[in-house]
Amino acid sequence: MPHIFAPLTLEIIVLILGVFLLLAESLAKSGDRSWMGRWGVAVLAIVFGWSFFTTGDSGSVFYSADSTALFFKRIALLSTIGILVMALEFQTVLQRFIPGDGKGSGTGEFFALPVFTCAGLMFMASAIDFLLIFVALELSTISFYILVAYMRRQNASLEAGVKYLILGALGTGFLVYGITWVFGLTGETQLARIAQALPLQLAPGGRLHGSETAILFAVGLLLVALGFKVAAAPFQLWVPDVYQGAPTPVTAFLSVGSKAAGFIVLLRVLEPFVSQPVLGPKLVGILNVLAILSLAYGSLAALPQDNLKRLLAYSSIGHAGYLLVSLASLNPAAPDFAGATRTIGFYLVGYLLMTLLAFLVLTIVSSQSRGDDIAHFNGLSKRSPFLAFAMVVAMASLAGIPLTVGFYGKFMVFSAAVAAQKFLLVGIGIVSVAAGFYFYFRVIAAMFWREPGEQSPVVVSGLSKLAVATLVAGILLLGIFPGPVLNSIKVRNEPATASLR
Amino acid sequence: MSVTLNHYLFASGILFAIGFSGVLLRRNILTIFMCLELMLNAANLSLVAFSRFNVSPTGLPNYNAQILVFFIITVAAAEVAVGLAIIVSLFRARQTTHVEDVNSLKF
Repeated sequence: MPHIFAPLTLEIIVLILGVFLLLAESLAKSGDRSWMGRWGVAVLAIVFGWSFFTTGDSGSVFYSADSTALFFKRIALLSTIGILVMALEFQTVLQRFIPGDGKGSGTGEFFALPVFTCAGLMFMASAIDFLLIFVALELSTISFYILVAYMRRQNASLEAGVKYLILGALGTGFLVYGITWVFGLTGETQLARIAQALPLQLAPGGRLHGSETAILFAVGLLLVALGFKVAAAPFQLWVPDVYQGAPTPVTAFLSVGSKAAGFIVLLRVLEPFVSQPVLGPKLVGILNVLAILSLAYGSLAALPQDNLKRLLAYSSIGHAGYLLVSLASLNPAAPDFAGATRTIGFYLVGYLLMTLLAFLVLTIVSSQSRGDDIAHFNGLSKRSPFLAFAMVVAMASLAGIPLTVGFYGKFMVFSAAVAAQKFLLVGIGIVSVAAGFYFYFRVIAAMFWREPGEQSPVVVSGLSKLAVATLVAGILLLGIFPGPVLNSIKVRNEPATASLR
Repeated sequence: MSVTLNHYLFASGILFAIGFSGVLLRRNILTIFMCLELMLNAANLSLVAFSRFNVSPTGLPNYNAQILVFFIITVAAAEVAVGLAIIVSLFRARQTTHVEDVNSLKF
């Protein structure tokens, strides 16, 4: 019996909000469009609060309403709220690079499209059928194509849009072909049914006995597609260019929302396959390679970067590496997916807070200094001590200093790897943490020990001040008391197999 | 000789390979985009074939895959609509659709 606290209500409200914003935009008089952003923030905040009251089962074979799904939905909602705040701050830059006459013309969709992306990410968090996984992933990806190429008077943005389009569509191709093969081999598109059917099919006499290679091929195709999504090496080719060229709020959204939703799908898709004794060790081996490549590439290529957005792009690849370490530490004999979900969930919350903070400060500073190189941060401590302090917290947390949430996330990842005796992974992880200290601290050094290029103080709007302060508080509080967030993902209501009907 | 599942899979594999190599080798963005669509259609072909040959005990094909094909076609259409719009605006700004001319973002 559907009621207003049914799980699906969240997505429905978000979709209605998106449609409402688009309609209201087309009917409203031309002029300032920042009211759209404020409406979006307000309604999404209500939906976020609502998510704590949803009860009941979804009653659907496509859509799971377990606590993991809810948790990742909250990550999607929070990141979208952060992105809309950033978009409000970004309006002046946006206006310069889109055709149109008068203040605010053409900026409306920039506030409506993130809401649709958010709905896509939320559906991804709940998807337990390949059909819904595919459609949800495309809902978010296609909205991203438009957002990345939004500033169409700027070559960098257009170029980033085309690159993201081609490589994103390539990822879609691999995803669809992978789904095809999984369906062809197992005869099912529901993950729960696949988990149920696979052991029988792989047993001697089953239809898949002896064709493990074919299944590995199919899962490999899916891994390629999801690797694109979470920005893992060697599928990271698009990341630096797209991150640098896209409008800054969109870059932040790509790096937080897309990665979080990609990982929940990865967890759900891998579970039935890694649990099979004949497939598990090989798949964990593949994950190992992906983790090592992402860690090494992300941290080494970040060292010489002078553009902060590009640096954060490489850092995003590196963080995908840390997250993959926790998947690669799964024991194929008895994979503890609940534990991995918990580590990844907590790490992603930390990643959300620190990345949003870094990008929010970057948006504010770059829209007033007209550039996003590290050099534009020179002497920020004199121009705005508040923002400089916030950036120090963000960078320290990204680097993994104790007492910040970034440290605790890395600690959980590495302790899982040590428990699984993956010492090569731990070694490479420690080297990349050390490299991280160098490139994150270059930003801090620039803010405090370089002379500012211009003296004018940086102005921060009230809403952004509130957002920055909340994010700083979140990073420090969760770094000291990680308990509340950890407990909220501790219980995984039911494994995917139990939602079979 | 009757057409078996393997024939369809072989054809679809070739289509996918042609599409993928086109994406890697061709230099015109429009051609690359067509090759991407070819990859999706390769998947559609094998989905329908799998559905047709995966006969359930009741004697009916597994229709899940055929429904999925319709979703793929619809999503591909949406992707083309957005993609071509982006390519058109790139052409307006740069007067080119050649990948080698689109390289201002580099190390």
